[in-house]
Amino acid sequence: MIIPDDRSGLSFRLGALQYTIAVIFAALAVCFWYVQVLEHERFKEMAANNHQRTLALRAPRGMLFDRTGRVMVENREARNISLVRENATSVEQSMDLLSSVINVPRQDLLDILDHNRRLPSYRPLLLVPDASSEQIFSVRARNLELPHVLVEEVPTRRYPADEFAAHLFGYVGEITDQQLVRDEFKGLTSGAIVGQAGVEQTYNKLLMGQDGSRNVVVNSLGREIVEGDRHEPLMGNRLELTIDYDIQKAAKDGFDALGYNGAAVMLDPRNGEVLSLVSRPAFDPNLFAAGIDRREWARLTTDKLRPLQNRAIQGRYSPGSTFKIAVAIAALEEGLITPSFRAFCPGGATFYGRYFKCHAGGPHGSIDLRHAIEKSCNVYFYTLGNMLGIDRMHKWASALGLGEESGIDLPHEIQGIMPSSAWKKAKTGEKWYAGETISVAIGQGQVSVTPISLAIMMMTIANGGTRYTPHLVKAVDQGNGWVPYAAPPPKSVVKMKQSTIDAVHEGLWMVVNGAGTGGKMRLDGYDVGGKTGTAQVISNQGKLRARGTDRDLRDHGWVVFFAPAKHPEVAGVVFAEHSEHGSSAAPIARHMINTYFAKKEGRPVPQFPVPGAPTTLVAQQGADATRPSGTP
Amino acid sequence: MFDDRRLLHHLDWLLLTAVLLLTVVGLAMIYSTTFNPLKPEGLQVGPQFIRQGYAVVVGLFALAVCLMIDYRRLCENSLAIYVIVALLLIYVLFFGSSGGGARRWISISGFNLQPSEFMKIALALALATFFAENGRGASNNGDLLVGGLFIGTAFILIAREPDLGSAVTLLPIAFGIMLLAGLRLKLLGILLAVAVVAAPIAWTFALKDYQKSRIATFLDPEQDSQGAGYQQIQARVTAGSGGLTGKGFRQGTQGQYKFLPVAHNDFIYSVLAEEQGFLGVLATLGLYLFVVLRSLEAARLAKDRHGAYLVVGLVSGFTFQVIYNITMSAGLAPVKGLTLPLMSYGGSSIIATLASFGLILNVRMRRFTN
Repeated sequence: MIIPDDRSGLSFRLGALQYTIAVIFAALAVCFWYVQVLEHERFKEMAANNHQRTLALRAPRGMLFDRTGRVMVENREARNISLVRENATSVEQSMDLLSSVINVPRQDLLDILDHNRRLPSYRPLLLVPDASSEQIFSVRARNLELPHVLVEEVPTRRYPADEFAAHLFGYVGEITDQQLVRDEFKGLTSGAIVGQAGVEQTYNKLLMGQDGSRNVVVNSLGREIVEGDRHEPLMGNRLELTIDYDIQKAAKDGFDALGYNGAAVMLDPRNGEVLSLVSRPAFDPNLFAAGIDRREWARLTTDKLRPLQNRAIQGRYSPGSTFKIAVAIAALEEGLITPSFRAFCPGGATFYGRYFKCHAGGPHGSIDLRHAIEKSCNVYFYTLGNMLGIDRMHKWASALGLGEESGIDLPHEIQGIMPSSAWKKAKTGEKWYAGETISVAIGQGQVSVTPISLAIMMMTIANGGTRYTPHLVKAVDQGNGWVPYAAPPPKSVVKMKQSTIDAVHEGLWMVVNGAGTGGKMRLDGYDVGGKTGTAQVISNQGKLRARGTDRDLRDHGWVVFFAPAKHPEVAGVVFAEHSEHGSSAAPIARHMINTYFAKKEGRPVPQFPVPGAPTTLVAQQGADATRPSGTP
Repeated sequence: MFDDRRLLHHLDWLLLTAVLLLTVVGLAMIYSTTFNPLKPEGLQVGPQFIRQGYAVVVGLFALAVCLMIDYRRLCENSLAIYVIVALLLIYVLFFGSSGGGARRWISISGFNLQPSEFMKIALALALATFFAENGRGASNNGDLLVGGLFIGTAFILIAREPDLGSAVTLLPIAFGIMLLAGLRLKLLGILLAVAVVAAPIAWTFALKDYQKSRIATFLDPEQDSQGAGYQQIQARVTAGSGGLTGKGFRQGTQGQYKFLPVAHNDFIYSVLAEEQGFLGVLATLGLYLFVVLRSLEAARLAKDRHGAYLVVGLVSGFTFQVIYNITMSAGLAPVKGLTLPLMSYGGSSIIATLASFGLILNVRMRRFTN
């Protein structure tokens, strides 16, 4: 069978085949050398990205304590439902199933997905923050069908449940895109929780702590196989606030019991510490703790009563008669009058061709400064205002903090308006008319103030002229025990004659303890000084025009106070929206002051008196409460 | 039949050793890719590894049988063998067990037999016999037509399953035999020209959508990085991440954590590249090249044209599959369901491959006998 010539051709073709194959194998070796050796680093990284995950372990935020060491804000473990999209074959399909399992509208889930499209697909995407136990149970039960859906435990803020001090604490929330690019948030990535209001925002850096991380190995289904390195998170620093829990609660209880909205601030005039800062209505900061629902957010932002507004530092209202204190000081310090200066009140007076009324309590006849304060005589202060002119009133009111920011360590404080001729020129281009001064002299017209600025005025008068910067943090614990937190320097020191201070103190004491409008603040044995005020929401003429609309046109009530009048330990303000008269806010102030002294003297913390009970009886009850420990 | 003990003296022990070495490496890689550490102790070894172990035993038996029977006796019966396997393929088309949208297997008590694997041997036998015995080689157009009939029938039967990958492996078998049998190079040129013209026509009319998308994906894997392109990208990542020395046995991440699908099957070589690195690739590539070249030596030494053609046919199919699969393992070729002979998981494949090496050894061993 062997054909010699055929055999040589066969051998040639076999040889060619062998060479060709050898060359192809050599080419394959070169290809592998390229992929495995030259391009190794790139593919090594890609492989690592496939199976290695660094998951953040969120650090619990630092706890907040009151000045007596009582826990006010702490943390709890919330369970979040998240989705890892990376290896999910059909995200839409998973959403369909998940939507029915956890009973959340499908569209809501898709909206969240859409909003986070740019988040790396291996990062868990938060779908349901702080899920209910039923939701967690359902998801765990359907684990096999929803392999990419995770349940994560995350430390989450727990605030007092009753909206207590909501504006003061503020709330936390996911860092926004705008915040991410700012220096103060350097190193944070999207999804981080930061303070978005209140103390949470101001002291975010101290409170935040340091997130930990853990490395895990996952398979192609995203299932965790092995846990690698783990860096434990560092809890944020603990803060001791200057707030006194009981005084804060006293103010809140007062508003609740009387059914008013408004604000209250109590300061320690000896150092500017804030003992209480309340704004009503409030909101529940817990709603924000794990990420607020869109509907809840819409409800809060469109509520006509504006519960998110911190009225204490963000509300601007006419100061009414409380402003007369500043006018009195201006006139005394400018040397225009002495405390014995008398004016005659016939129940009204004409200035610049217009007749200005005193109030219903007049006429006061011939009256001196102390009694003018006590009786809140308009004519007396019209006269002083007319003597001073707007710019000297501006000078002294501003020095006492009115129309300025207090500098409190809370975000988004606004300024009031303390007009002057320069201010009007800049604002409208017109000159100031002397007639406008007369309304301002009794705290109406163009002047408007924030509640905290009135508290600042009272503090400055109470301590003889030091305008401290109000502040909320007393001490901080960075892990090695409590260290006092440096108070900010005072804004300024207002030089006032002792005679001025004495005269004003006496006038304010008489308001409460004499025949004045502040009788409801009287607290036997504690020499409360104060002043009421009524802020017109609208002018009398405007009232007629607005009749029939659903606007609440009732006037606002103010009280400002300090106690004890000789060496004040507390000073502050209570503002009650639409309470019609200043004296309506007085029981709240009285309750706050009473609570302060009760705690100071170790008496049991008093309850807010039953509203509607006669004032005298209320005072009697207060006096009763002093007896058991006050007299041995 | 094995009475002549001198025959064993002529057995190519080197080739046999190389083949068995590759088989063992394959078993090791299957063990590595199917080992499941998440399962309880005792159940961690993958069932695929155990099944492959049995298949290797059956394959070695098949090798021995194919070695003992004189290949000339097989050649005499080549037509009958071809017809029987073709009938099995027809049976599969109608009654085969299906999986993944194709009917490819005959299920016999839990063991899946894939006749297309055995068609490779049957076709090599039939073509080798036909071209050896017609006395004219493959230069005559009429003879080419008959050869074409053998190829065409088998090709269509397998392609209809559908299993285009396996069907395509028949072409190098036929091509190798005809090349050796004196196929004129001019004709080769014409065939190439026809292929170039036919490609766009085939694209439009003959290819199914999934086949088109595979080719499109190969040209631009990123375009479909979660679908078909995913495998190609992951194959390259798997091989590339192995580096020079590899991540170590069972230490691979791509294969172990299933980022690379069917790692124990089509992509076993990617996992080898990942775990054993470029050095492991060089060693196994060397072994494969040795097996191929050494087998072709058997064709050169063959006593007759039957033997030479048979060896070249079998080696051509084997080589084509090896080269294609390894190229694919580095993510450099479109993903086709083409296994790596001797290594990939698959009972029919390992049995048929070991059997064909039985035949190759057979041809060399009997080079002096009459």
